[in-house]
Amino acid sequence: MTTAACFIIASRNDIPIYEAEVGSAAKREDAAQLPQFILQAALDIVQDLAWTTSAMILKTIDKFNDLVVSVYVTDDHTRFMLLHDSRSDDGIKSFFQEVHELYIKSLLNPLYLPGSRITSSHFDTKVGALARKYL
Amino acid sequence: MVDPANTPLGKMLLEEITPVVMVLCTPLVEESCLKNGLSFVQMLSPFCDFTNIDVPVRTASDQPYRLHKFKIRLFYASDIRQPNLEVAKERLKQVITKAGEDDFPEIYSDLPQVNDLLSRHESEILPTWFQFFNKELVRTLSFSDHEAFDHPVACLLVVSSRDEESINRFIDLFNTNKLPSFLSDGAMDPKVLKHYLLVHDNQDGASEKATKILTEMRSTFGPNDCQLLCINSSQDGQTRHKDTPWSTFIKNLMQELSSKHIIPYMEQKIRLLNQQVSSTRKGFRNQFKNLWWRKGKEDALDTTNGPVYTFSSIESQIRVLGDYAFMLRDYELAVSSYRLISTDYKLDKAWKRYAGVQEMIGLTYFMLDQSRKEAEYCMENAFNTYLKLGSAVQQNATRCGLWWIEMLKTRNQIKEAATVYFRICGEDLLHSAVMLEQASFCYLLSKPPMLHKYGFHLVLSGDHYKKCDQIKHAIRTYRNAVSVYRGTTWNLIKDRVHFHIGQWYASLGMYDVAVTHMLEILASSHQSKTSQELFLRDFLHIVQKTGKTFEVLKLQLPVINISSLKVIFEDHRTYASPAAASIKEGVWRSLEEDMIPSLSAKSNWLDVQSKLIPRKYKESNICVAGEANSSNVEPQNDEYKTSTSTGYVWLLSTYMYNAYIYICLYVLMCVYVFTIILSFGRDINSSLVLLEVDFSLEGGETILVQLTVTPRVEGVLTIVGVKWKLSSSVVGLHNFESNSVNKRIAKGRRKPKHSPSADLKFIVIKSLPRLQGFIPSLPEKTYAGDLRHLVLELNNQSKFPVKNLKMKISNPRFLNAGNQSYLNVEFSACLEKKLNVEQSGGHANAKKMLQNVFHFPEDISVQEETSLSWPLWFHAAVPGNISLYITVYYEMENVSSIMKFRTLRMHYNLNFALTFAIYVLPSLDVSFELSPCPSRLEEFLLRMDVVNKTSSECFQIHQLSSVGQQWDVSLLQPVDSILPSQSLFAGQVLSCFFMLKYHRKSSTSEDSNPLFLQSDVRLGPPGNSEALFDVCSSPLADFHDYERLYQGMSCQGNVDFVFITQLWRGNIDSGAPHRPLLFSHHVCHSSLSSFSPISWSVDGPRTIQHNFSASPCGVNLKMTINNSSDAASSVHVKTFDPPSSNSQSIDATASQSGLPLENQAGWFSIPAVNDTKVITTDALAKRITKSVSLESAPQFIWTGSSSTKLKLQPRATAEVPLQICVFAPGIYDLSNYALNWNLAPIEESQGEANKSSGECQGYPYYLTVLQST
Repeated sequence: MTTAACFIIASRNDIPIYEAEVGSAAKREDAAQLPQFILQAALDIVQDLAWTTSAMILKTIDKFNDLVVSVYVTDDHTRFMLLHDSRSDDGIKSFFQEVHELYIKSLLNPLYLPGSRITSSHFDTKVGALARKYL
Repeated sequence: MVDPANTPLGKMLLEEITPVVMVLCTPLVEESCLKNGLSFVQMLSPFCDFTNIDVPVRTASDQPYRLHKFKIRLFYASDIRQPNLEVAKERLKQVITKAGEDDFPEIYSDLPQVNDLLSRHESEILPTWFQFFNKELVRTLSFSDHEAFDHPVACLLVVSSRDEESINRFIDLFNTNKLPSFLSDGAMDPKVLKHYLLVHDNQDGASEKATKILTEMRSTFGPNDCQLLCINSSQDGQTRHKDTPWSTFIKNLMQELSSKHIIPYMEQKIRLLNQQVSSTRKGFRNQFKNLWWRKGKEDALDTTNGPVYTFSSIESQIRVLGDYAFMLRDYELAVSSYRLISTDYKLDKAWKRYAGVQEMIGLTYFMLDQSRKEAEYCMENAFNTYLKLGSAVQQNATRCGLWWIEMLKTRNQIKEAATVYFRICGEDLLHSAVMLEQASFCYLLSKPPMLHKYGFHLVLSGDHYKKCDQIKHAIRTYRNAVSVYRGTTWNLIKDRVHFHIGQWYASLGMYDVAVTHMLEILASSHQSKTSQELFLRDFLHIVQKTGKTFEVLKLQLPVINISSLKVIFEDHRTYASPAAASIKEGVWRSLEEDMIPSLSAKSNWLDVQSKLIPRKYKESNICVAGEANSSNVEPQNDEYKTSTSTGYVWLLSTYMYNAYIYICLYVLMCVYVFTIILSFGRDINSSLVLLEVDFSLEGGETILVQLTVTPRVEGVLTIVGVKWKLSSSVVGLHNFESNSVNKRIAKGRRKPKHSPSADLKFIVIKSLPRLQGFIPSLPEKTYAGDLRHLVLELNNQSKFPVKNLKMKISNPRFLNAGNQSYLNVEFSACLEKKLNVEQSGGHANAKKMLQNVFHFPEDISVQEETSLSWPLWFHAAVPGNISLYITVYYEMENVSSIMKFRTLRMHYNLNFALTFAIYVLPSLDVSFELSPCPSRLEEFLLRMDVVNKTSSECFQIHQLSSVGQQWDVSLLQPVDSILPSQSLFAGQVLSCFFMLKYHRKSSTSEDSNPLFLQSDVRLGPPGNSEALFDVCSSPLADFHDYERLYQGMSCQGNVDFVFITQLWRGNIDSGAPHRPLLFSHHVCHSSLSSFSPISWSVDGPRTIQHNFSASPCGVNLKMTINNSSDAASSVHVKTFDPPSSNSQSIDATASQSGLPLENQAGWFSIPAVNDTKVITTDALAKRITKSVSLESAPQFIWTGSSSTKLKLQPRATAEVPLQICVFAPGIYDLSNYALNWNLAPIEESQGEANKSSGECQGYPYYLTVLQST
């Protein structure tokens, strides 16, 4: 069981379009911004790595203390970034893949402008369910 | 590849890892030196660095090489010990604090731009004190016992010539207890090279004594190891020498010491040690032995330091060998020695020593510039080993890390260097902060720059600085971070950075800067409530401390929805209510189209305007000024421009508004009350006009603010912007114009014609009359069919009369202008039928309906300060919501202005729950069905079905009228029998039958006295004396016309009905509880068109007595044919004799009837209904039929022409004479004839549904012929 802390979808332009607190990690009020910092910093590394590999999932590309960043890069270079504190590769992989499916579904919504914030509550619920299932 | 020695790390190593010379001197020596303000070591140190010493060196190998650069370090013996950690830290802290003061950025300097940083060279970006700090940090580790390169190679004993018994002093110096600890505890060989120096102060006298002592020394310590140094040759201590003759002297002294004593000593030592190591450790046999021996020591104590090695142990000797070789640049020898010993230390679990050796291996490889991977591996290994050992050797880890970083930097592995910096961070927060900051710069300098990492590490570093109370450093790092995160969408990050830097600035008392940062975080709706409260509280706290009032352009709290800003103004268009102002201009335009003088009115008006107004304002809007000195007056009759936003709540009273700005303000925060002032500027008198509105916003609330401007004088009025005050000290400012201009530029000037800023500029013209309109007592809720009398009140409060009033109502079906005479009449009585009233409404109505514009009579004008009332009729035609737009046009009298006319626009949007909402509920559902009376010409049976669809109302039926004076309506049976109470209760259904008769007006126009025309049927109780309502006069007729228009296509032969009921209980609208409400339901176009357009009737005698013995009987009949269609038709009447008697059977007659079969379901006529001999008919007929069939010959024949053709004009009647000849008495059915008719097609108007031709069989007509006696 991973205790994941934070899941963020960043658009191609490094803009966060979806954020969720997933997993059971205890949330600290004074460090609420830390996941954002770590994940945003990891973008630099994703930037480099994404072009060197054909794999979509980039496991454990960055870490900060005991927190690890895993990233899933879609075809349009949308980044699914998960901050978690231990590794369970299979679960994370499945999680990313299913979220990708969800993301594609929301892309198919003609009213959704790609690269804009995902505000669908349905998406939110689904991601929450997937997080409980796999992480 | 650059020479490793020239890299920063190489330079550092060549500086730091050099032979140490221990200095022991007497106090008198120091005293002499201090005359120059220098200590002895300080005096000599500058001469210890030799750039080109050029000494041949031969170490272990036979091949000598030349040493060029060389350096020795001089230390007092008392300094040769491990520095106190606390003292060292304190010193480092001072270094940092000083750097913080020096580097602290100017308050008002701009924030650094990231791109700017990137374009600059590394050396410009990196704070210079980093290097100094790193060097100091490395030095805190000097003289550790496990590393031999800090162990003194030589000892310099210095005695002054003033010292008594100089020789003894030399001996005493070395024997004191001041020697470094590792000399005494055996970590180092106490037998070091000694050199003796006699210092002579020339001020103490001539040097003879010194020379004497020197000779003595030479004889005691050996001739080569003694030197004389004369200082202070200047007699008075004042003379300044351009050249420094003593410098060469000291330089020579030191060079001689280095090249003739230290280096040869080291060479010799290396050779000696190498020999020992070779004999004991090199070769297979020795290695094996060593391993065997080490294994036996496994039970040794497993302490962190491992076993203690004395200087005589082989391990220490190898280490010394390596270090000496390193110092003499024999890196090959050094690396082989280090490698040899590293396995030993590892086996002995002497981890600290192991790590130290690994560190040296890495450095040596680096200096050799070979096997880079190996070098890095060794460094990492050393680093990790140190880290494992915990905080005790944190300093070692730091030093190792710093060297490793330098190595990585040299190889351009800057990213890796950054991670090492990150790993260096230990428990010491201050050091960590510096390391993190250095790491951040590594990310910035890496290619490509990793800005996110840069920012993140800056923030981390800043936090660490903050924890060590280095606020200035913290601010500096955060400032850089702000430049990275500027405009970021990662909102938590942005909040964090701005909040903290704001707080820190505030703690330094720099409130102005603090406020600018705090402003950034005010609109943080994503934060939790506690965070928001914290932000706001801190912000206000800081603002309070400044003691100033801030005017901020980008105050984010509350959020102003600028896109909702709308300016509404009145020029020639005036509005009765803001609701009317919010209606789309297009709606009004189309309504006013044919009312405003000409279609080009706008352009004409503009033409006029351009003549009167300066050209530069041509595109501006016009508004009308209030009177100049009316400032004490209520602003009602001043003139206006208005601004509004879409979607609003209308709060003010209708007449009080002048010009409005509606601004949608909403707050995402949770707390606090705001005072908001919205301001207008106007350049009349170039002064600002401030309008103030006080309101408070709760968290998450959205309100709409509306502001009114009343211009008092002519000129130009510009709406500048809006200001609002947050908690009495912060003023937000929004400039509308600049915003618009920006938008325009962004659009690329595609619409250069119309600049948005012009929307905010108004030309104020002289005061003009302005009508105000109001319809009191417009019902809010009513039932369909409701007919009411309303009054439009027009109010002119200006000093000028207005004339030429016209009015147009968007939906005349519901609302209609009445005649002035109806103004004061009593309602419902005025509708009653009066005697001798001219029925002349028809033509005028048609005209009105076409134009839809109601012209007030010419002589009507609204005089100054009076009001005009005008009757209106309201009829709730259909259920549902009604939107009514009323626009009143008027012209100004005696006013010379660019504006000749104005319009007043009133709107009652009945969808809204506004004051004048009208919601029409369904009431009665009335339908009619018509069936023709076959045997009668133009008579119909009418069935009326009424359903009361209300839930509680009880309607009293009053009257049914047919419209158009062409139809007589009569009751088939008295109402009492159907509906005794004459009241229709909720849900009740009523069916009622009437006889409808066409009243031939054209032919009998003279007797058509309306009194005799039964076009109305009173349905009330028989004794009711109430008058009937006149459906032929206004307003019922008017509304009926509209109903006709709306209820469908008009075609010929249709009948319209008006069904009038009354509602006695005034519980819907409390306006008139004692008077009945009148409801009229109009049903139009009850169609007759499904019937044949041709109808006829045969008239003639029914019973004839004839003496058949004399002659056959000839009977004359008359057929009247009516064409009820609008087309001319040709009719062909054919008579034919019955071919056989069977065809005359009465049974067959039914099927031959002119009635279509489908209509038989309804009502059809029983033949000869008024015949008195009905009862006998059947019996007679049977008998006759029987007789006819027996005789098998026709009993009668048609005489005269067997076929008659005639043309019938539209709506005409013709008579055709028919004759039969009867041969025998009997009852005859004269139905054996047929009518063929053909309608001449009328172009366009003829509906397709109508039949254009047809054939009708004759109706049964029974003729009884009796034998006369």
